[in-house]
Amino acid sequence: MMWKEKYRVGADLIDTQHKELFHRVSNFIQTVQSPQPWEAKVEKVKETMAFMQDYVVVHFNDEERFQEKIGYPELERHRDIHARFREGVQGYVDRAAKEGFTEELIQEFGGKLMAWLIMHVAAEDQKIGAFLRSQGRQP
Amino acid sequence: MKAEYINAFYLATQDVFRLMLDLETTRLGMRVTEELVPFREANVVIGVTGDLSGSLLYSFSKQMALEMVRIMSGMEMKELDAFVTSAMGELANIISGNAMTRLFDSNYRCEIVPPQIMIGGGQALSMATPQAIVLQLGTSIGSFEVSVSLKTR
Repeated sequence: MMWKEKYRVGADLIDTQHKELFHRVSNFIQTVQSPQPWEAKVEKVKETMAFMQDYVVVHFNDEERFQEKIGYPELERHRDIHARFREGVQGYVDRAAKEGFTEELIQEFGGKLMAWLIMHVAAEDQKIGAFLRSQGRQP
Repeated sequence: MKAEYINAFYLATQDVFRLMLDLETTRLGMRVTEELVPFREANVVIGVTGDLSGSLLYSFSKQMALEMVRIMSGMEMKELDAFVTSAMGELANIISGNAMTRLFDSNYRCEIVPPQIMIGGGQALSMATPQAIVLQLGTSIGSFEVSVSLKTR
């Protein structure tokens, strides 16, 4: 899973955080899908999930602050999308705490997380870049 | 069922395939069926409620589903495991959500319920309408079907 040039929004902080998210989610998926026995990798999976949970919050907060700063007209809608993404991640964190970190549950989470992240960065966040361009704030 | 709904699904599929998979989709054909049957190995069923209600069925071959998830993840996929089927379910969910936004623009307010995955061909699904419309779509990695069975409130 790779960050692509076409995902560039044109704001350094956001682009750097997106690259980090792609890098982390990619590592997470590689761990989840690697052929080792589940018991051998479950600790790493737990660590990565805890990191993702925190990092998603940091990134979304930074992105919302940036949108406020530039007067982004779709801020409220974007906040709702962030809230749903966070709820989605939290839902799996809660299920894992209750049902245990089973391979099937974490694979399911990995598949969703990958699709959410690509959709978010490739579609929703591109609207921020388009707005910046329309304001003449980036080349 | 009005054929006018169908274009929303075609445009939504085209949009999401382009954004998420860098794949162009072409319309291969459309047919009417009296049974909603999961025809291929990897199927996603999504319920719709609201001004329009019924079911959507996305049907992919195993090979195409594995290739779609390879494009997204950058990793070779071998089996239709929970990772692959979850990613496929979410992709179909995103397409359906995109189609609901388009239908909203035509004054139909609808919501979708979370996707159900069905592996392997199976029994016919219950239909909201006497006939479903099957949209046949092609890409450079294979063809697939989106079946739409929706009725107005």
